[in-house]
Amino acid sequence: MISFLNPLLLFGVLGAVIPVIIHLINKKKAISHKFAAIDFILQTNKRISVKFKLRQLILLILRASLLAFLAMALARPFVKNFIGGTPEKDVPTSNVIIVDDSYSMQYSDNHESFFMSAKTAAMEIINNLTKNDDTAVITCSSLGSQVLPELDYDKKNLLNFIEQAQPGFATTHITPALDAAIEVLTSAKASIKRIFLLTDLTRNGWDIDWFKSGNEKLRSHVSNIHIIDLSEGRELKNIAITHIEPQINVSERSAESTIKVIVSNFTPTRIKNLLAQVFLDQKKVAQGFFNIDTNASETKEFYFSVEKGKGHTGWVEISEDSLNVDNKRYFAMNTSNKLDALLIDGDPKTNIYESETFYLEKALNPGREHASSIKPTICSIHEVKNFDFANFDIVFLCNVETLPLEKIHELDKFVKEGGSVIFSLGNKVDSNYYNNSFGTLLPHRLHTARTFSSDSPLSEEQPLHLKATEPIHPALRILSETNMSTLSSVKFYRVFYVDPAPLGNCKTILSFSDDTPALIERQVDRGRCVLFTSSIDRDWTDMPVKPFFLPLMQQLCRFLTGNIAEEIQSETLAMHEWQSPCPEDINSLEITNPEGTKTVLQPQVINNEKSFLCNETNFPGIYTVTVDGKPHPQFTQKFPVNVETTESNLDKISQKELAALMGGTNLTITTSPVSEGSEVLMGEAKKTLWGTLLFLTICILFVESFVSRK
Amino acid sequence: MPENPFDPVTLSKIASMELRARLVVDGALSGIHKSPYKGSSIEFLEHKEYSPGNEIKHIDWKVHARTDKYYIKEFEEETNLKCYIFLDTSGSMEYKSTGISKFEYASTLAASLAYLLLKQSDMVGLISFGDKVLQYIPPRSRITHLHVLLNALTGLKPAGKSNTSVILNEFIEKISRRSLIIIISDFFDDINKVITQVKYFQFKKNEVILFHILDPYELTFPFETITYFESMEDERRILADPKSIKDRYLSEMNRFLEQFKQACFENQIDYCLIDSSTPLDQALINFLARRESTSRPRYKS
Repeated sequence: MISFLNPLLLFGVLGAVIPVIIHLINKKKAISHKFAAIDFILQTNKRISVKFKLRQLILLILRASLLAFLAMALARPFVKNFIGGTPEKDVPTSNVIIVDDSYSMQYSDNHESFFMSAKTAAMEIINNLTKNDDTAVITCSSLGSQVLPELDYDKKNLLNFIEQAQPGFATTHITPALDAAIEVLTSAKASIKRIFLLTDLTRNGWDIDWFKSGNEKLRSHVSNIHIIDLSEGRELKNIAITHIEPQINVSERSAESTIKVIVSNFTPTRIKNLLAQVFLDQKKVAQGFFNIDTNASETKEFYFSVEKGKGHTGWVEISEDSLNVDNKRYFAMNTSNKLDALLIDGDPKTNIYESETFYLEKALNPGREHASSIKPTICSIHEVKNFDFANFDIVFLCNVETLPLEKIHELDKFVKEGGSVIFSLGNKVDSNYYNNSFGTLLPHRLHTARTFSSDSPLSEEQPLHLKATEPIHPALRILSETNMSTLSSVKFYRVFYVDPAPLGNCKTILSFSDDTPALIERQVDRGRCVLFTSSIDRDWTDMPVKPFFLPLMQQLCRFLTGNIAEEIQSETLAMHEWQSPCPEDINSLEITNPEGTKTVLQPQVINNEKSFLCNETNFPGIYTVTVDGKPHPQFTQKFPVNVETTESNLDKISQKELAALMGGTNLTITTSPVSEGSEVLMGEAKKTLWGTLLFLTICILFVESFVSRK
Repeated sequence: MPENPFDPVTLSKIASMELRARLVVDGALSGIHKSPYKGSSIEFLEHKEYSPGNEIKHIDWKVHARTDKYYIKEFEEETNLKCYIFLDTSGSMEYKSTGISKFEYASTLAASLAYLLLKQSDMVGLISFGDKVLQYIPPRSRITHLHVLLNALTGLKPAGKSNTSVILNEFIEKISRRSLIIIISDFFDDINKVITQVKYFQFKKNEVILFHILDPYELTFPFETITYFESMEDERRILADPKSIKDRYLSEMNRFLEQFKQACFENQIDYCLIDSSTPLDQALINFLARRESTSRPRYKS
């Protein structure tokens, strides 16, 4: 099949009609002349006429073909001569075609994309096969989703599969694909077993270590490996957004967002004035320019305002280049309303550092006022009558000895109407008073306090430590693995023991190392109560100075007030799993991808915990999470899926490296048929025709000048 | 530089045929042409000694009285030549590449010859023809006959085909002995048939002169571009590349002329090829000079 590098120049073939037109015009324009000696012309012309007409015809054909051949030569034709044909037609072969469908294959610089070239090449290979050859097709980046792993004799079926194949958004995984191909060919009966690998030869995806063992398998199970470099040996250039990091600062009045954008330049030249734009809720909110040295990255921060109390989605994008997939990254954020927390300090001190609520207040609102979404208000027992609990979202009772009776009733009503209370204990707490006054709210009845410090004269045992209960409570999920690992380092010198029998709807969030409850949650009507069985200051424990104290307190507040969703949604990489814990009362979850396709998820048990798991993250973009068609406060409403940036570096693995890696195998590395001058280790993948055509054109030129002079 | 008055182009500017003829004959040929025929006339030529067989009535008795010898008076004979001018008026004669067509050239030539002959009291007749005789004016010797001839020539318009041999055949019986027959044509005809007919005339002691008029373009074929050549006598039309056929054409034309000339030479026919761009006086001078040197002895009495 003949193809052309510059097919547009084929229009020049129409120039072949020019000599014909000129001939017709000249014939039409031939002057008439009355002549007396016409008999002599007739006599002469009878002999010459045939010769003359023949010469005219030959000249016409020569001139027309001269122009046609010239145009065809300039269009640079070539014959695709894929090595897919069976060497000996009678010998059956088994073939596996591995098509690289990673997103780097969407690279396109004024030609069709590599993936389209790969499809064309795969079809050529299949068309060259005989009816005795069977073939399987495997894709590189998304094993399982786009494969025909069974050897198939039906060309139509194979061609149809190739025709429908779409480029993916994941990274390359050549070696797993080779593993799969070897497995397919191991069971094949044909004597000749071949692998065709259609790829852009980017270094990413070639697991060098695999070849230490895999090479032996290739040698023993595969007759030939044909690698077709669809990038034609070209150097590939790319600019990509390799990282974005949105942050949000919510204050009383407004919410401000900062997004840190890192753009990497994988080209051999410095990039100047590269436009980057930030879009929020489909509107452009910020833009800037990047100047990046070759093979370097630059970081910029963009600032913009966001509306409070709602979720937002957006993206950052840079100007188009040959690979556009990684020029856009998505983000999602929530700007929840500020929580008002009332901290009733039962043990205020003149020295503020010694007050019961000092560490708690710092944890809820570190730094400036607007730095946190929680606004704490501190009051003493005497001042509490001045505050209406209904004006707050959450009330902390920190080592409170007593409360006025009316405030106890108000607290009870506050919780039943949806408010939240956190009890932390201390030396002022009398268990009997608490059991009597707050019995309807406490998750457990209090017993006596015990001291565990060896340093203390009251010491009985070694200090207690914390540990998370299984399954992990939702309030703890925000804690990183590092924070969770530091739980055991917290020392508790004195704690209150509680009645082993819970009062109903109770869950232990954290427990002590002796398995007694440390942090207990209880649902009371529409509200929630939490009991912390030690002090919230440093009197009984060193927990307030531990790193996880701040996120734990903040997340606890959000959990109790139903604002569990994170402010900034962490991104999920394309083709990677998205996971979310499954609350007990929810049986299914819907995920809608950017294309509008809805996937219904059922809970699965993973590590002894019910979770929702979504594998359908095939496309980059914003995914929507709903329960029964509506957003649910327990879940992130939207989450972003972005491409993995390791694929953005289009540095190529050289043919020599490949030859060294796959030494001992019968390896052929060719460029794609549309290549020119690339190294071909074995075999010939293409035959160019323009040289022949130019030679023919010159020959015709000589013949034409000879004939026209005669 | 003044124009040559005998140049065909210059002559073509003179509308009157008589003026053209007078210009050519009086201006150029005056004193050159004399009648080759001698006989009884009023103009004394010379005395010749009597010899037996001479008529006695021609003896000059006065000379005998003075010399006692018998002498015979010889006089310039009064010409009684009959000349028939055959003029081809076929369509091909209308061709002209320069200022004058072959027909105009031939007409002027005919008029000049008629004037020349009538001036010396010869009888001149005119036959114009194509594929048939268009006009026949019998020979007369009166000078006023010139006007008749000139009027006839002026009224002619070339058209149609030519069939010279048939026309000549028609006149074989009509023309008496010892006449001068002048045929002016381009002879795009079957020359073998023409020669055959001419030979019949010769057989009857007639003198025949062929004036072969051709245009310079017919002789040199100087065309360059692809041309549709159209016949002037019928509807034939042919597309040809002149450059590619020129050599062949010239070869054919030269072969035709050579063949014609050779046939005339073999049959002792006066043949005169005239390029229509040649000045008429020059053509006549050349022709008459040649006739003076070659034909005179044959007509001596």
